[in-house]
Formats: sequence, C-alpha cells, structure tokens
Amino acid sequence: MAEMKVIEHEADVLVIGGGLAGCMAAIKASEESGLRVLVTDKSNTVRSGCAASGIDHLWAYIPEIHEKMGYTLEDMAEDHRQGMASRFFRKDLFYLVAKSMYDRVMDLEKFGINFRYEDSRAPGKFRVVEQFHSVPASFNFDGVPLKPTLTREAKKRGVTIINRVQMTDLIATNGQISGAVGLNTRTGDLHFFKAKAIVLSTGRSNRLSRNPTGFDFNTRIPSSMSGDGTSMAMRAGLPIINAEFFSGQNTLAPSGNYNPNYGDPRNTVQPAARIIDGAGNVLVPRTQFYDWESLGKEKWSEDVRRKFLEGLRAAHLTDPKKGSPLHIRVKRGEGPFYLDFSEATDYEKEYIEWSIKNEGKGTQFLRYFKDEEGADLRKNPQEYSGYWPREIAGTAAKGVWVSNDLETDVRNLFAAGDEVGGLPWQAGPGAVAQGWYAGQMAARRAKGQRAFLPVDEDAVKARKEMCSAILDREIGFHWKEVELYVQNLMDFYCGSVKSASLLERGIVRLDDAKAAPMKAENPHELGRVLDVKSIIDNAELTLRSSLERKESRVGLLSFVRSDYPDQDDENWLCFLAIKRSQDGRFAFEKMPIEG
Amino acid sequence: MGFKHIYFDEKVCNGCNTCVDVCMCDTFVANSEKGKPPILKYPEECWLCGACVTDCPKKDEGAIRIVTPFQLRGSFLRREGGSRQATACACSM
Repeated sequence: MAEMKVIEHEADVLVIGGGLAGCMAAIKASEESGLRVLVTDKSNTVRSGCAASGIDHLWAYIPEIHEKMGYTLEDMAEDHRQGMASRFFRKDLFYLVAKSMYDRVMDLEKFGINFRYEDSRAPGKFRVVEQFHSVPASFNFDGVPLKPTLTREAKKRGVTIINRVQMTDLIATNGQISGAVGLNTRTGDLHFFKAKAIVLSTGRSNRLSRNPTGFDFNTRIPSSMSGDGTSMAMRAGLPIINAEFFSGQNTLAPSGNYNPNYGDPRNTVQPAARIIDGAGNVLVPRTQFYDWESLGKEKWSEDVRRKFLEGLRAAHLTDPKKGSPLHIRVKRGEGPFYLDFSEATDYEKEYIEWSIKNEGKGTQFLRYFKDEEGADLRKNPQEYSGYWPREIAGTAAKGVWVSNDLETDVRNLFAAGDEVGGLPWQAGPGAVAQGWYAGQMAARRAKGQRAFLPVDEDAVKARKEMCSAILDREIGFHWKEVELYVQNLMDFYCGSVKSASLLERGIVRLDDAKAAPMKAENPHELGRVLDVKSIIDNAELTLRSSLERKESRVGLLSFVRSDYPDQDDENWLCFLAIKRSQDGRFAFEKMPIEG
Repeated sequence: MGFKHIYFDEKVCNGCNTCVDVCMCDTFVANSEKGKPPILKYPEECWLCGACVTDCPKKDEGAIRIVTPFQLRGSFLRREGGSRQATACACSM
C-alpha cells in the first residue's frame, strides 16, 4: 500500500481556499489577537482563484457618487434583483456586500492597490464605470497585483498559508465543525486539521461541461475550480441552492477560440464596444462614459433603470418576443456576430485595453491578439457567439445555503464568496466583502471556544484508503477519461433543453462514473482524480435539481424543460435546496425568496 | 513530441522557478538540474492565465513565452491588413 504521511495541524480559524474571499477572511480573522489562522489553497494564494492573474471590476454602493445622483442602496438592490439576478436574489446578502464594499475598497487601497487616477473627473479621482447596475457603480483599478498583495498582507499578520493542499472532507462533531482533511498534490501527504471555526471559500463549480474548443481547460472561470467546496458541503449534509441553473449562461464570448474572460458587451469592453453582424448592422449599440460634469444635476429615475434593463437584454441578444437567447439564435443559423470597437476614440481604446489587461486572462489575451495575430482591437472586430451554452460557474448563483451571518447549517462553519448561493454575479465584491465578514465571524466564534472539539478520525482513515487505492491499483481509468464521460453525459442529458426522461437517464449513467476505478501515477494526478470526484458530485446535484424544478424560464438564469414549458412563478420563484442525507438519499426544500 | 505551448529560452531563464510556484494548475515541475528552466509537464492543464509570464523576473528578456494553441486562435475580421507575422517566429523556436 502506498505510504501516505498524515500531517496534523491545529487552527483556531481554518480558511479553505485562498482566493479573494479566503485571503480577506484570513486577514480579518488575524486581527483578533492570539488566534492561529491557517489558509489552505489547492494552488498558491499568490495567483489563485478568479482574481488570480488580475481583476478589473469591483461593484459597490459609492456614497460620494450615488447620493449625488439620488440613487439609493434600495435602488441598487432593485437593479441587481431585476437585472443580473433574474429575481433569484437574497436581499440580505446583497446588503451585506453593497453596504460594506466601499470600505473594503478603502482597505485594499491601504494595502497598496491603486484605485485613483489623475485623469479621472469622477469624485475621489476614481475610475468608475457602468457594469451590472443602472448607474456607474463598478471600480476599474490596477487589479493585476491584487492577489500577491493580499498574500503579503496575510503573511504580515501572522497567517500561515499552506499551498497545494486540496481539501476533501469536512468533519463535524455534534453539529459543529471540528476538523477537515486535505491532500498535498505535490508531496502526496494527507493533511488533517483540527479547527474551532472554518471559512469555506473554494469558489465556483466548474468543468461540468465539454469545452467546445477541445482545449479542456480553456474555461471562462479558472479550471482549477472543480466545485470541491460544494462537494464537501454536500457530503456534510448541507443544503445547496440553484444547482439546476446549468444552462443559464447566455453571455457572449469570442467564437470557438481563446476565452479572454472579459465577458459580454456590458462588461469589461464597455463603453466603446458594440455588436454588429457581418453586414455591419448594429445589433447592440455602444454605451458612453458617464459625463461626470453632470453629476448631481440630473436625478436618477425609474426611467434610467428601464433603459438599463433593456440594454442588458439587448447585450445578451435575448429576443424579448420569442425569449430566445443568443445561443439559440446561433443554433437557428443566425450570425456571425462581431464585437466591434471601430467607433472607439484613442482614449477609449487605451482605457479598454488597460481594463482588459487587469482582468485575469486579459493580459495574456492582448499579448496574443497583438503579437501573435498582428491584430488591433479597433481594426479587427472579433467574432462573438453563444459560445458557452452550458456552464454553471458563470452565474455564480449556485452554492451552499447560509444564514444572514454567512454561517452554514453546521455551527462555526462559514462560507464566503462564490461558495455561497443566492446572489448571482456577486463576483469580486461578494468575495471581498463576504470574506471579510466571514473572517470576522469565524474569529469571534473561535475566540469564544476554549478547547478543540474531539474529532472523529474515521474520515482521515477513509480518505487515506481511498487515495492509496487510486495510487496502488494496477489498472484504472485516467482521470481525464472519467471527466470527459461526465461532461459528455451532462451535455447530452442536461443540455439547453431538458426533460424528465433524459435527466433520469443521466442520473442512472452517472452511477457508472461514481463506480469507475481511477488510477493515478503520482500526487498531481491524484489531485485531478479528486477534482473529478468533485465534478461528479456537482453533476449529480445539477441533474437532480433540474429534475425537481418543474417549469421553464428565460433570462440570465435560464432553465428550459420541454415537459414543463411554462414559467411558473407561483410555485417556482423560489430557491430550490438539495440536500443529501448520510444514507445517500437526496431531499429537496423550497426556500422562499424574501422580498 | 506531444503538444506544448509554453517555451523557455535556456540562455535567459535562470531557473528561479517562480512560474512553477505561481501556476494555479501546477502544470510545471522544477528541473532537477539547478539553474535550468522548468519542465512543462501538463500543458493541457493550463488555464492560459499568463501568471507564469506576468511574474517572470526575466520576462522582458524573453525567458518564457506562450504560443497560443492553434485551436484557440481567434475568429476576427481583417479589415485593414494585419497578418499572422508573429506566428512564424513562434514556430521557428
């Protein structure tokens, strides 16, 4: 049997996943004196998570701007509810993020991140643009150094960071979190943690669907994210919501190629990009920079929101009459469509390039576009299509159910950022603001608890046996084979249009994936096998939740059932929570959406 | 040789292994020979985030470069000239 060392740790606060949320949680938790704060990351916190190599937008309620517009926090909540959240919206979580996000931006500035620009005419010399709301409410900033900076700040405060450890199990004692298990995917050691409080922040569930380019890790959201947190939460018996919104991503993306991760025409490429067809007809007009000279002169009104929502639908090429989003239009044979910058001024082009550069893969994309293709944003319209019809990660709607203090149903286990379900497109601000808050809550709980709870070590033994078997077996499937099996299965049985008969068949066939013996040659491959185990768990949640939701709806969170073609707000405008019991059975509960 | 899209210039790379450290998908392994460029062991597990290039202390001297996989090449209109000049350079490596 492969000899796996078990390394033991004790943490007052353990943070699982050191992306934006995890780093913020650790920094905040370390403010409570005398606490031992540990962060584990399956990558390296310096460049891990959605903000790994950069981030270009953080939305916030910005009092010094929005008060002058007569735009209230309630107005912003309503924009988010109707627009990006398609009414699947937790108002309490929105307020938690929106109210504190401006203060968090000030914190990030103190850490050394640049948010102010001499050429800006906006209050505070900020660069603030329109993105997810009807007024400019998103900071553009120098986001490339964000993760290295947060890592440095965490270390400065005495936080211990353990990189390359992929977490696999949460352990509870009498309904309270007490420990966790993970694997170092470089050394092959198991890590066993005793903890007084845990913040779960592993991000979105990704890789559930086949990548249309054939380059499997060319995903929009980092491919390192395989829904490990959701899988652990599911196995701990916690409810997960919104797992059925799998085909909801109607976002436009460059056609069949490199995924630069700058989203749709209402995202990073605002304001100068528009969408045209091959004949040059404008399908989605460009927007404009906000005229800061007019700030305070004109008051915000419902009319502004109406125009914004119209623009949002147009930007996703959703046909309001037929309710067909872009990817269905493409299937009908419409297109090609192009993202066109030809009307951009020099300043706008420079600005957009700067913004793209700060967004994750953007730096690399621009280098490719210029150096390898000899192309220019202004001169060469990029083809756009409904590239990503099936992706659960995009909306960030799915996740574990939490209290309004971000605590899960297991006491002292908190969740933050995209791990949390209920606030679609909370994105960076969700991570930053909730991470901070969860870190504070976890630290308080840890402080109030004198001793570690007794931890049942069966989970460590079971994990050790499972990992050893994967390393030891002579013949077994490579992780990639099983991942592709699951992705093919999801694409076929849980596609853009679903039905009970297909979903039921998908659930049966997923059992084969669960039972498939996989083989790993080394700890790295063992980590990928664990990725696939998480992907299988997430696929099961999506298939079963899709079968349970008996209606159809279109929009940013679209869901189409051929056997239930009508939208049914009376019975289904609610969160559907799926929960697995110890005996492996699944149960559902409808969680009301609080007005 | 199998698929590969990240190249090191042995004359420039000092084998500091920063790229090995920061790669989120753990695609590289350090070279057993000290001072030599890392080995791209799992190229198909790259997310193309570019952190290996961004954080390379010798990037300006060309220690590391990414040649975008061909199937990911963009679809765009070439209105005013422009050509894939750089591709040829990349392939000559």
